[in-house]
Amino acid sequence: MKSTLEKFLKIDRRLIFLALAIVLFFPIVRPLGLPNKNLGKDVVNIYNHIESLPAGSFILMSLDYDPATRPELHPQAIALVKHSFRLNHRIGIFTLNAGATGMIEEIAERIPKDIAPAKVYGKDYVIFPYQPKPQAVMTQLGIDMYAIYDKDRNGAPTREMEVMKGIHSVKDMSLGICVTGTALLDAWVAYVGDKYNFPMAGGVTAVSQPGYGPYLQTGQLKGLIGGMKGAADYESLINELDKGTSGIDSLSLAHILVIILIVTSNIIMLVLKYF
Amino acid sequence: MEFLANIWQWFAGLFTVTPGWMIFGGWMAAGLTLCIYSFLYKDNPFFKVAEHLYLGAGMGWVFQVTFFQTWKPRVWDALMDGQFVVLIPTVLGLSLMTQFFPRISWISRYGFTFIMGYGAGLVIPLEITTNFLRQIGGTIAPFAGGAGFWAMVNGAIIAFGFICVLFYFFFSVEQKGVVKKASNIGIYFLMLYFGAAFGNTVMGRFSLLYGRFDDLYKYSGSGYFYATHVVLGLLVAYFVLDKLVLSKKNGGQEPAH
Repeated sequence: MKSTLEKFLKIDRRLIFLALAIVLFFPIVRPLGLPNKNLGKDVVNIYNHIESLPAGSFILMSLDYDPATRPELHPQAIALVKHSFRLNHRIGIFTLNAGATGMIEEIAERIPKDIAPAKVYGKDYVIFPYQPKPQAVMTQLGIDMYAIYDKDRNGAPTREMEVMKGIHSVKDMSLGICVTGTALLDAWVAYVGDKYNFPMAGGVTAVSQPGYGPYLQTGQLKGLIGGMKGAADYESLINELDKGTSGIDSLSLAHILVIILIVTSNIIMLVLKYF
Repeated sequence: MEFLANIWQWFAGLFTVTPGWMIFGGWMAAGLTLCIYSFLYKDNPFFKVAEHLYLGAGMGWVFQVTFFQTWKPRVWDALMDGQFVVLIPTVLGLSLMTQFFPRISWISRYGFTFIMGYGAGLVIPLEITTNFLRQIGGTIAPFAGGAGFWAMVNGAIIAFGFICVLFYFFFSVEQKGVVKKASNIGIYFLMLYFGAAFGNTVMGRFSLLYGRFDDLYKYSGSGYFYATHVVLGLLVAYFVLDKLVLSKKNGGQEPAH
């Protein structure tokens, strides 16, 4: 008995990897439709904030994530764009992360196809080119954004675009949202949010989510979407179930597996120690 | 520059997205993902190839994005328009490159000096406001009136935990008596944070894994000629062969990794 339990504790870790792969892969092939009943308060706060903005408000989206964090952050960005378009807000999209340009291209391709086919580029939204040195860009955004973004990513002048009517700096915008797997959201809060009293919200990976608690407590962030769970929450709120929601099945099964492994191995440890 | 741009356009034209290129992309994505994950079984040459490709492709992508979206429009086009003021930041930026040449590396100090001065001037006041003063204000805000009872309880817990954790990191007083007790309580608060952070980390990593599996499932379809199945089968075949060859060479003993 004891030797069997000891063997269990020395199980080949590759078997655990295999079990994890199976529980994550199974719901992709056969979706279980597990419910997502607990919506995060900070996610609801972003949703409510965007809902409260008058139609035509300008929302600046800094999509600063690369392929490494795509599964968590891309569904967040898509849901935010869908929601903003549904309420007829104007959107300005750009990135301060060179690796994110491909992600933005994908969104640009999807907007006329399935995200918001009725929306017109230049009238309802604009996509700016990548710029290095985030702090310099953020500072300039509060003074005169055309000093940096006088042209869109295709080289077309932005100043004359209808979407930019009345917009000169972040002070003329209604909300800034930074979706990132880096520490750029901290910089947005400091260099734009606090400096220009500009409402900021964020979308981050689950790993970095707990670190933003202080900013939420002080109101420096209006809300926060954390990881794939946050994306699923937002998709539920806008009633557009997509990649975030479909991942909940896999996450739930994987978490159950981890809980079972932790509890089982601890029980075995106790048995081996006291019996 | 126009010549270079033309060459680039011609080169990029070769890769205009066609269904054939999409299928090729699917095979590459599935193949590289599985090659990277093969490390979970054991180290192998396919993992090494994928790892180096990842680094190379990443650097190449950043280079072309910076070149075409920043350097060309911000420096070259501006110079062509007669805006010679961009020479100042350009020369300062280029001065950093002299680091690679020891005899003239002193020139890089001018660029670094500018970065240090500009950075410090920008960062220090904002960081003090955002991460210090605003956080102190946020900690005591619930007690300033207007907040509900539970907000005050939350605020009290945060303030208490904050002070205890500070005691844990206060090294100038010997940890004994009240200081020791506060410090010990601080450890529990830290453990709670680490627990929450670790839970979120696990969830985040699973989300990323799910994302790759979702793509692998997509590439396993007939539209991609069963890329995932084929690559997975080839990798398994390699490991089986490797095992058989190793068994003969080492009498069944795998080398330690």
